[in-house]
Amino acid sequence: MKKGYMGKVLVVDLSTREIREEIIPDTVYKSYLSGMGLGAWMLYNRIPANADPLGPDNMLGFMSGLLTGTGSLFTGRWMVVGKSPLTGTWGEANCGGHFSPAIKRCGVDGIFVTGKSDTPVYLYCDDHVKEIRDAAPLWGKDTVDTENTLLETVNRPNAKVACIGPAGENLSLISGISTDKGRMAARSGLGAVMGAKGLKAVVLAGTKRIVPHNRDEIKRLSQICNRWVQFQPPFIAGPLTAPVGALMRILPTVLTQDGLLYKILLRKWGTVSMNQMSPEMGDAPIKNWKGTSKDWGFSKSYSSNPDVFTKCERVKYHCYSCPLGCGGICLTNGKYQETHKPEYETVLSLGGLCMNQDVDSIFYLNELLNRMGMDSISAGHAAAFAMECFEKGIITTADTDGVELTWGNPKAVEYLIEKMAKREGIGDLLADGVKVAAAKIGNGSDEYAIHAGGQEPGMHDSRNDPGFALHYSVEPAPGRHTNGAGLYYEMYQLWKVAKGIPKIPPMYLKSSKYKTSKRHAEIGAVNSKFMNVINGAGVCMFGSFLGAKRIRIFDWLNAAAGWNLTPEEYLETGARIQTLKQAFNIKQGIEPKANKIKNRALGIPAQPQGANKGRTVDVDAMMADYWEKFGWDPSNGKPSPEMTDHASQAAQNIEPLTEKPREKADGVYHN
Amino acid sequence: MAFTIIDNCIGCGACTRICPSGCITGEKKELHAIDPALCMECGACGRVCPSGSVENLFGQIIQRVKRPQWEKPRFDHKTCMACTICVEACPTGAIALGDPSSKDPHAYPVLGLEKRCIGCGFCAKECPVAAISMAVPAEALPA
Repeated sequence: MKKGYMGKVLVVDLSTREIREEIIPDTVYKSYLSGMGLGAWMLYNRIPANADPLGPDNMLGFMSGLLTGTGSLFTGRWMVVGKSPLTGTWGEANCGGHFSPAIKRCGVDGIFVTGKSDTPVYLYCDDHVKEIRDAAPLWGKDTVDTENTLLETVNRPNAKVACIGPAGENLSLISGISTDKGRMAARSGLGAVMGAKGLKAVVLAGTKRIVPHNRDEIKRLSQICNRWVQFQPPFIAGPLTAPVGALMRILPTVLTQDGLLYKILLRKWGTVSMNQMSPEMGDAPIKNWKGTSKDWGFSKSYSSNPDVFTKCERVKYHCYSCPLGCGGICLTNGKYQETHKPEYETVLSLGGLCMNQDVDSIFYLNELLNRMGMDSISAGHAAAFAMECFEKGIITTADTDGVELTWGNPKAVEYLIEKMAKREGIGDLLADGVKVAAAKIGNGSDEYAIHAGGQEPGMHDSRNDPGFALHYSVEPAPGRHTNGAGLYYEMYQLWKVAKGIPKIPPMYLKSSKYKTSKRHAEIGAVNSKFMNVINGAGVCMFGSFLGAKRIRIFDWLNAAAGWNLTPEEYLETGARIQTLKQAFNIKQGIEPKANKIKNRALGIPAQPQGANKGRTVDVDAMMADYWEKFGWDPSNGKPSPEMTDHASQAAQNIEPLTEKPREKADGVYHN
Repeated sequence: MAFTIIDNCIGCGACTRICPSGCITGEKKELHAIDPALCMECGACGRVCPSGSVENLFGQIIQRVKRPQWEKPRFDHKTCMACTICVEACPTGAIALGDPSSKDPHAYPVLGLEKRCIGCGFCAKECPVAAISMAVPAEALPA
């Protein structure tokens, strides 16, 4: 089948132990793409209303992208979808590594797991065998140990593993799923869904080939993209990124960002390149969102300057089909000698958010969280929340084994995270995220719990870029920072290829960014639509930052699937997926208005000093405008039932594949 | 689409031993068969077949070649972008990532387990920037 996608999904019921392949009609791919779009379509049709996220009715999908394995670049993302136990909404997590092509090599575009196993199990798939195996000896092991043990056990070339750590097993609502020894699909608490199902890991070792419609055309477009990626002029030293950020704060105008500049930073340092620039610009929340750029100045952020991370980098880490390589494997002197280079989000959530300047503790905690299988953004928020409660006297040393939870105390951050990983003492309270912790602690602690719909937001300040406020509040998976922002829209440069969408001038007045305007919602809607196309195709967001003319995602999709759709039609597809995700939430009884991010992150009250001084975001107006853009009810964000008819109708045409996978004759694999 | 085994087959089992997807079955000394749903057209079965019994998609018999003379990938590290597509494309896991140099921190592919290479050329076919070429190793060429 020369379409880029495999045309089938694997559905596994852990309760009945039934495994079957289902053929997905081509029209579904054309209407919802693969990846998260296909996931939304399956979950909307298969998860019953008001399902318990940790019960057998929830369905967890491991999705690859439509463009994965077709010769396109930046297309190695895999996605996990399900009903989130953290927010009760549509849940999604996105991760790099090498798991996405492994899904397709098993001949399917996604693996959906439903039901619940009484004993720990793992799922093994290759070309011949698809079976549920016993994982009792693995239960309790961390993600790195689990992966190493499984790879040794199956002993197949190019086998890939996605697994949970003890956090997922303990049903921590901020746990994620790990691959490649510590790359995490961390958001939405989907690790707990795996834990609740008793599914320790998924091991894939297929060898099927992925055949696109026109590989030569895809390669031609890839070479255009690669030329931009390889353009790498020498760049300033790490600590000098801080004055660049300060300059951006001081200037009364905004210079529209070209993603090529960010690409240069990513190639040199990775996401940690923003460690000093972001706080200076006002983009990074400090001290549990109540601090400002003044509290985390040059001297404080210097300890985590980008050069610190590249100095101990042994080798750059590339995800599948990535020509950039923003990741890295670092050597440290701490408890764990080797670790994935911490990401910007991790450094700031365990650093600036807790005022922690000890970079060694960040290296250690990064690896600890990866091994335990816990989301570092949410864990950092939980630690900062506990510190603020301690400051206000709501938590005392009696609750913390005598540890003083003072701001900037690295021992306190280490103590909290270690306790959360083991779910002991105060860690048991915090391991379900700040919303649950605040509800249990009470005493007015809710004010210090920063979340949107239950999920802690990313390390990008919504007071600096109102686009973040909108997307944190309005996305079907609230609190995620990778679905859109004003800054992202500038870098996508979509107006260069698609008609009828707002164009951004090369320079504009900064004050215009903070005025209430319908334009914010207009841009936000395009962002969400485009992100759904990206997630359907399995493209990395950093790749798409290169700009639509340099990374030709729409042309790649046409060449891979043999379609002839225009960029505008693809954005319509993105809108269709967004409507389906929103309809999923409505079906599950979610009130979209309730997902609005907490007031502190909106500048209510406004900060008295720092980069975001005096800024307040009117997110209510933006949310209503945004819902209107999708044709949903602007008063409550609900799509009309007719808008999802298409999805339900297509679901009736599914054919289960009856033939059973054939056993290999002698049961032995040779090379 | 898949390769097929014709009646010349003597049932020696050489193809079943080399097939990386394990898609060939058959009793000893009897006609073997390729499962078309699993065959990925690597051609290794034909290259080892002593009786010339494997036909490609165009109905041509694949010629037997001595294993040292099979084509192997050569990596042009100047063009290579270290994207790891070839590592994942290799059905036998023969390609590994080498160590980075002091000047360049990226890890580029090398033929780590040369004995596993079946000369299928999938790495070269999938490389988006044509950094891999398939060639018979110089030492294996007749003098």
